[in-house]
Amino acid sequence: MNVHPRARDYTQSSLGKLIPDESELTAGVKIEPRKQYGFFTDTTVCIGCKACEVACKEWNNLPADNVGLTGHSYDNTGALSANTWRHVNFIEDSFSKDSGGKSVRDNDQSPFQSGWLMMSDVCKHCHHAPCMEACPTGALFKTEFDTVVVQQDICNGCGYCVPACPFGVVEVSKADGKAHKCTLCYDRLKGGLEPACAKSCPTDSIQFGELSDLQARAKKRVAELHDRGVHTAYTYGTPDGPGATGDMQYLNAFFLLTDRPEAYNLPAAPTRPSNRIAPALTAGLATLAGLALAAVALMASGGEEPHRGR
Amino acid sequence: MAGHRKATGKVDVRWMEGLITIVQEGRFQLSDGRGVSHQFVLGHAALAETEQLRPLQSRQARVRVKYTEASGLISLIAHRIELLEPTTLEPAGS
Repeated sequence: MNVHPRARDYTQSSLGKLIPDESELTAGVKIEPRKQYGFFTDTTVCIGCKACEVACKEWNNLPADNVGLTGHSYDNTGALSANTWRHVNFIEDSFSKDSGGKSVRDNDQSPFQSGWLMMSDVCKHCHHAPCMEACPTGALFKTEFDTVVVQQDICNGCGYCVPACPFGVVEVSKADGKAHKCTLCYDRLKGGLEPACAKSCPTDSIQFGELSDLQARAKKRVAELHDRGVHTAYTYGTPDGPGATGDMQYLNAFFLLTDRPEAYNLPAAPTRPSNRIAPALTAGLATLAGLALAAVALMASGGEEPHRGR
Repeated sequence: MAGHRKATGKVDVRWMEGLITIVQEGRFQLSDGRGVSHQFVLGHAALAETEQLRPLQSRQARVRVKYTEASGLISLIAHRIELLEPTTLEPAGS
């Protein structure tokens, strides 16, 4: 078992104060400003325990919403929202190649119930964050850890960030009228702590670390899965890969998937809405100019006296 | 303990006293006299700002909160926070 050498300094069960740079012991990374951090979510090892959802709610003091049963498989959270910053998707991959044409709801199952896909969804903390580009007040900003956070005291609840997000992550709360989303545990990062969801993940499906390190780890894992016969494995949100389309470049929270992105409720080719402003404005102005020309032409022809013979 | 919506559609406004024990952005937890914790969200029209909550929590100030119940949320909406003991803090919402 790999134990960090520093772990031997903290053998007592109760501690009088916080362990300095605790993330070094729990995630193997020292959190320092001006470095890029993110999540690598390996969906192949997610067991759908929802520990990440609970840890997120617990740390961020988020209230429970969507009270009741959704009727959608084991998923009663429904979707990411102003009060749910981690959401575990349960996808019943009815007739996938791996399940041998059997549905997960059939009485006899193929081994390991391989028809199930589970994925812990979260804010992607985009490199070119469309929500941040749309924010007129500057409430959304990039932190010193290259994550995207909403400053609650500045947000005026205009909601421009909501349609700007290509992943449908941001939501304006009806309770306080402000936009909310995952902060990648900004307060914990400042205290040298690993984000709550990653720390609570029992299978290390959610891995926290430096982005370059995570991307290398993901590449290695994909190669390993390919060697083991899982040829459908790929990363979503790494540079030049699916999810990093439309000038998004890369996502700080990226995923390892084994089915098409739409199966996980992710867009196949997300884009930056700000890139559509220039063509949309040009098209609008061209239409306006065309209509004005047509009106002038009509008025000019209508101004002439009709020639009448005697 | 918590307020409820009356059949007439009128929102039941109530008050609760206690200590603010946890603060995250505009959300806070209030521990009442019996030691029971209640989750609150600062309402959009509340007479208090999010940055006023943190000092209340760090000083363990005793407060009285005017609240209503939130619909579709296991939380209470705080509309006004009053300080119950003399302190150097500016009273939130007064």
